[in-house]
Amino acid sequence: MSAGTERAVTWADVNKDVERTVSMPGNTYFAWMCVVALTLAAGVVAWTFQIYTGMGAAGKRTPQMWAMYITTFVFWIGIGHAGTLISAVLYLFRAKWRTSIYRGAEAMTVFAVMTAGLFPLIHAGRMWFAYWLTPYPNQRYLWPNFKSPLVWDVFAISTYLTISVVFFIVGLVPDVAALRDRSTGIKRKIFAVIAMGWEGSDTQWKHYRRGYGLLAALATPLVLSVHSVVSFDFAMALVPGWHSTLFAPFFVDGAIFSGFAMVLVLILPMRYYFNWYPYITDKHLDAMAKLTLVTSLVLTYFYACEVFTAWYSGDHFERASVFAKATKQYAWAYWTMYFCNSVVPLILFWKKARTNVVILYIVSILVLIGMWFERFNIIVPGLGHDFYPYTWGTYVPTITDSTIIVGSFAWFFILFLGFIRVMPSLSIVEVKEVLPHPLKHAVHGAHQGGGH
Amino acid sequence: MSGIDRRSFFRIVAASGAATAAAGCGQTAEKLYPYVSPPENIVPGVAAHFATVCRECPVGCGVVAKNRDGRVVKLEGNPDHPVNAGALCIAGHSALQGVYHPDRFRGAMVDGKFAPWESAEKIVADKLGALVKARQGGRIAVVTGLETGTVAKLMDEWVKALGARPRIAYEPLALEAMRAANRATFGRDAIAHYAIEEASYLVSFGADFLETWLSPVGHAAAFAKMHALSAGKAGTFVHVEPRLSMTAANADRWVRNAPGTEAPLALAMLKVIVDEGLVAPGVDARALAGAVQGVDVAAVATQSGVPAETIKGVAHDLAASKSGLVLGGGAAVSGGNATDMLQAINLLNVAIGALGKRMRFGGDVARPSSYADMVALTQAMAKGEIEVLILGDVNPVYTMPPKAGFYEALAKVPMVVSLANRPSETTGKAHVILPALHWLESWGDHVAEAGVVGLMQPAMGPVEIAGKPVDGRSLGGIFLNLARLALGLTAEPGKGLFQTPTFADVVKAEWGAMAKDYGKGKPVAEFWEESLRRGGVWREAPGPAVSVRPEGLRVKAEAARLEGDGTHALLVYPSSRFYDGRFADRAWLQEAPDTMTQIAWDGWAELPTETAKRLGVGRGDLVTLVSPHGRVDLPAYPVDSLHPAAVAVAMGQGHAYPGTYAQSRGFNTGANPVTLLGPGPEAASGALPYLAVKVAVAKGTGRRSLAIPQATFDQDHREIAQHIGLGAARELELRGKPPEHASHPSMYPPVKYPDHRWGMTVDLDRCTGCQACVVACVTENNVPVVGREQVAYGRDQHWLRLERWEEGTPARPRNIFLPMFCQHCGVAPCEPVCPVYAAYHTREGLNGQVYNRCVGTRYCGNNCPYHVRRFNWFYYDWPSPLDLQLNPDVTVRQLGVMEKCTMCLQRIIEGKDRARDAGRKIKDGDIRTACQQTCPTQAITFGDLKDDGAQASKLSRSPRSYHVLEELGTRPAVTYLKKVTRDEGNPAGGGHKA
Amino acid sequence: MAAAASVLGIFAHVDTTLQAIRDLRAKGYGDLTVYTPVPVEEIEEEIEHIRPHSKVRLFTVIGGVTGAATGFFLTIWSSLKWDLITGGKASVSIPPFVIIGFELTILFGGLATVLAVLLLGRLPKLRPSPTYDPRFTLDRFGVAVACPPDRAQAVSALLSAAGAEEVRR
Repeated sequence: MSAGTERAVTWADVNKDVERTVSMPGNTYFAWMCVVALTLAAGVVAWTFQIYTGMGAAGKRTPQMWAMYITTFVFWIGIGHAGTLISAVLYLFRAKWRTSIYRGAEAMTVFAVMTAGLFPLIHAGRMWFAYWLTPYPNQRYLWPNFKSPLVWDVFAISTYLTISVVFFIVGLVPDVAALRDRSTGIKRKIFAVIAMGWEGSDTQWKHYRRGYGLLAALATPLVLSVHSVVSFDFAMALVPGWHSTLFAPFFVDGAIFSGFAMVLVLILPMRYYFNWYPYITDKHLDAMAKLTLVTSLVLTYFYACEVFTAWYSGDHFERASVFAKATKQYAWAYWTMYFCNSVVPLILFWKKARTNVVILYIVSILVLIGMWFERFNIIVPGLGHDFYPYTWGTYVPTITDSTIIVGSFAWFFILFLGFIRVMPSLSIVEVKEVLPHPLKHAVHGAHQGGGH
Repeated sequence: MSGIDRRSFFRIVAASGAATAAAGCGQTAEKLYPYVSPPENIVPGVAAHFATVCRECPVGCGVVAKNRDGRVVKLEGNPDHPVNAGALCIAGHSALQGVYHPDRFRGAMVDGKFAPWESAEKIVADKLGALVKARQGGRIAVVTGLETGTVAKLMDEWVKALGARPRIAYEPLALEAMRAANRATFGRDAIAHYAIEEASYLVSFGADFLETWLSPVGHAAAFAKMHALSAGKAGTFVHVEPRLSMTAANADRWVRNAPGTEAPLALAMLKVIVDEGLVAPGVDARALAGAVQGVDVAAVATQSGVPAETIKGVAHDLAASKSGLVLGGGAAVSGGNATDMLQAINLLNVAIGALGKRMRFGGDVARPSSYADMVALTQAMAKGEIEVLILGDVNPVYTMPPKAGFYEALAKVPMVVSLANRPSETTGKAHVILPALHWLESWGDHVAEAGVVGLMQPAMGPVEIAGKPVDGRSLGGIFLNLARLALGLTAEPGKGLFQTPTFADVVKAEWGAMAKDYGKGKPVAEFWEESLRRGGVWREAPGPAVSVRPEGLRVKAEAARLEGDGTHALLVYPSSRFYDGRFADRAWLQEAPDTMTQIAWDGWAELPTETAKRLGVGRGDLVTLVSPHGRVDLPAYPVDSLHPAAVAVAMGQGHAYPGTYAQSRGFNTGANPVTLLGPGPEAASGALPYLAVKVAVAKGTGRRSLAIPQATFDQDHREIAQHIGLGAARELELRGKPPEHASHPSMYPPVKYPDHRWGMTVDLDRCTGCQACVVACVTENNVPVVGREQVAYGRDQHWLRLERWEEGTPARPRNIFLPMFCQHCGVAPCEPVCPVYAAYHTREGLNGQVYNRCVGTRYCGNNCPYHVRRFNWFYYDWPSPLDLQLNPDVTVRQLGVMEKCTMCLQRIIEGKDRARDAGRKIKDGDIRTACQQTCPTQAITFGDLKDDGAQASKLSRSPRSYHVLEELGTRPAVTYLKKVTRDEGNPAGGGHKA
Repeated sequence: MAAAASVLGIFAHVDTTLQAIRDLRAKGYGDLTVYTPVPVEEIEEEIEHIRPHSKVRLFTVIGGVTGAATGFFLTIWSSLKWDLITGGKASVSIPPFVIIGFELTILFGGLATVLAVLLLGRLPKLRPSPTYDPRFTLDRFGVAVACPPDRAQAVSALLSAAGAEEVRR
């Protein structure tokens, strides 16, 4: 019973407040869209150029045969996790405060995974054969190597994308139905299609609720498995600093951490522009900030573990690798990571900071930067100083790969910005659910708030 | 000779039949491929092998050219040849980039424009004829490289017939001083044969015998025999040089002396030997005593910076070894006193009884003229005494010091004719260019040393460029025709030399005459056929015994005088890759890094660290070297090992004309150190003293970072290149117990190999770092050239790289050379990570890579702890006609796929096929990889590890064996044998070969 | 008996709706359809007396099991079909295959669940049911009763009594 205490919000208000967002946007919006679209175009051009000239266009080399693409791939996959966590895990825990943010978070998940999914393609030396990683019947009886972590990725990520999309759409149906009933013309027709003739009859609700719960139950282990599998790309390899049993939990935690930062980065402006203060209150921000803080602390613990095990193992390669990361050519990236991920979030111990929009926003941005560098530090310096001194080397980014990376952010935002103006980015049903149910006789007050 | 040699002997076909016979006189118009009706010995798809002689450097190693469908795709040493016994150096391999050079002249040229051969020829012939008629033959001059045998004879006859000036055989590295010294000491104008393999204690005064000195390939083989541990015996090698050359790096003890102090040092050692009565029995000690009267060991010690104990110690061990040998006189240490130095060394060899045993004189053979002759000619040209100057494949404009004035003098010659087949600084000044065919396209013969006559046959027709064969003639053919035209003769068999129809006939006639001498009464035809198959004839040709002449005992003990008031002595040394610079336009050699510095594609100035510190320059910062005669700007390469009073620059870079191919890939850097030298020859020998000037070193402006693929020479305690003391090694060998290899438990059952498990061993004790294997691999496996920028950025495509690992102290550095290539791991980290099975394990233990299946995730590249996998970052091209060299048995990899060493899979298949055709099981030695085949020291062995009898599996059980990064449990199929180091403080390391 | 008539009562409050449903059940009207803007626990409990439990989970289980089976079959069969050794591992090595099995369990399970929601919830619904009113997605509750025409009068009376702000026939 958290939301809607500031001003008495009725169920009808909820519908109105959401309907407002699904209408012809103003110029600022289009201005932003142009910027994003141009950036995306630049990225596309860069990718085309890379396909034409070869992977040499990106700064990869021996020993860094992987670099910023895989870094950003892991980054985006990580972002996705917070969405699923909020929509599925917190749903199972019946955490009421999730209701007003989960739709945005879920959209973020879907689009983040869609962005991440581009990178294996961008990264492949012969992307036109990337489909060979999927098991499809062919007359030559060629199959992928199911022992390869990359094939695990294919399965994990495609499953994750499918389930997220399904979960997302299922959640949308009743809300779209609500929009349908209050719109006219072409808009109504489109909504009608998506709403699939939803009426909110008891039978529909019954199966819907059951199904939704089961999906949440499935999505929860899935979200944990996906980033574990992504971490196997590294943990299964021999490279010092990669070959570690720590990686699965380490990656999952990092993912949630960065995900929450991204949610804040997206939700705060939405709250401002859509005037959703009644729905997204300080309590929400506080809760999110707390989770960010916790995940940050856990992450710091993992960082410590990483260094400790390297030292304690007594393994020369591991020690040299860590030492090189901290002191050699990439030291700046290493310490940036520590500052952004372990130091900055500590400010959230301070209650005022947890509800101060400006501070929260800055922290979130820094966390995103820090988390990108975390993956960078695993991959680039890790490979740059591995077993064989002859080939130690420094990776230098090129205009091409940098442009593609920036383009991937544009791709994400074009999807997200598009979504929030055509679909209910606030869950009408679930917000209503946690509002006081309309009652004639106050004696039933005990029953307020459907979900417990 | 092992089985393989005999087999290859039979596979070598004699050139007869349309293709090559026609090619001989260069008149062929037929296409090289495809064959509509193949000539008898060229079966499409089946390689034909032609034995001939490598004419890249003056040595003349025997080679076997592998001809596939009418074009030579690979060169290998001729296993039967006494000089190189099957091995070949990097330059030899790169001859293919000479014959297929994109810049080759398509035909004759007049004043820079293409002209029909006949008209161009006529212009020259008319001029010659006119001069002959006018009794002005003396105004004709001929300069060629070192030519011997029939063509030399022909040219000298030609010179006589036209009354021209005696022909100059110009070789920039002619080692004139050695002959001068031998004249002085023994009265022999010849170069001795040094039987290194018979020595147990070898001392070299700056003789880079593993790089360019005399016959490097042969020497390397001999050195391995003498030095590598076998049957408990290992000889010792001491090298005296101010700079840590590759040869020095192979020494058990490197003595760093002040530049130019070799002569005093040699005499000091001689004095020690004489004074302490260590002179070998039967040698006139008193005479020698006379020679060293004035010598004061202590003074020499201070002068040379070599401690007296060292001088004494080495002298002792040398004399005590009973089978010592002393070498000397590499270009880098040949100053104005080179002859004295070499005389002193001669006396040392006399004193230890090496003369007549390990230092032998054979019969006289043709030798290059001296640099002084070139200077004389230059003066004559300058005076306008030369009307026609005919230049063979020589490049004096580049190789002579500018102050010698050859370039200016050229302008004074009305007609300069060049017979070179590709552009150089010198051809740029030629009025007429009559391109001689490449030696792979020509008939001829070459006398490598007394009694060793190699027979050259065309291994292919003139190369086709843009569908048209280049229009050229063999060197002999050109002179033959010019003589006819000039003297108004016609071609009629049996009417004297110049009327012999083709040069091929001249050679045949010549060999017909040799038949009774060499052929032991065999019929001429049979002798000819057999010689063609064998690649020539060889026999022992002992020369007359020599003794020390009284005047030979008068040796000056002075150090070399250096001109100029600079701070550092300039060490100009021949490049082990570019020799005197003639190979610099070959991308293969540019891309193969210099072994010691690992620098590719560039020239550099080696600086002592202290100097670099003082000037505040780091690696790659430009420094300026100024001598009295010129200045050069070069990137600095500071090293601890170099003598503090010296800077070193290799010959060969800094061409004005590097060739378009190399240029397009980042070449045309570096500078030519010869421009810093003075023009004056050494009085005693007429040689150009390369150790002659002092230079001032200053910080230049800007920097040019060097392309160095090896990130560090420090192993960081990772025991990649391992070594073991001689004592310990010997003990282990006696016990014969193989070392325990770490066991790595696995949850999976061990992999079974039904038929074979191919594997290799690399004996680090034998590897000298010559890089021949690297280029052999490039040639065999169609490895692309990626260029300077890409090499600098860690994108070189070499499947096999030669690493240098540094240990010890600057004073006593220890260098280990380690050839690294795919280890074909039994538990390969690269395989399971591949999502599409492009990397997988074959049933024969190879680490297979399926190019067509590769998607390019590069995961394998990350996961390979040795980083031997190479990714195709770009499209790599082979500018025409270099594409003709591609090995048809090996796929050319496309963009975006991973590639790596396959252990020459195509050779494995060929070997198995041949065994099957012969209806027998495959034998050890049937299959030899390209790197193994070319290794002069036989450091690399390939074989079936399942066959206990196989040499490779024997070696892999050696007590010295280990695997690189063994603790990772990758179980490589490649086993390395530790380098054997001589125990500290005891340079002799005990035990000599008897 | 003539064609069934249907009576719709529209309510503004949860408790009145609940009341109506209770009364109807007491009177033995079993054929109800209740429309709500959001799922309401109390109403669901009430309805459960006259409706069977949802079968969605059955679909989920079947889907999940199929997924697991598919995963292991695909991996094992294809590695037997294409028997290549990589990194010294047996060509059929179960541990890595578990991951594929797991992912496919989730995938098939999830898709089966959605399928169930659609099938059992009779979605998509091509034309709205006669008793549906757009307000049901805003803030109104609806109780539609199917009854013999002669009883319609009684039902509407009952609904209004329970507190329906509007009753339709």
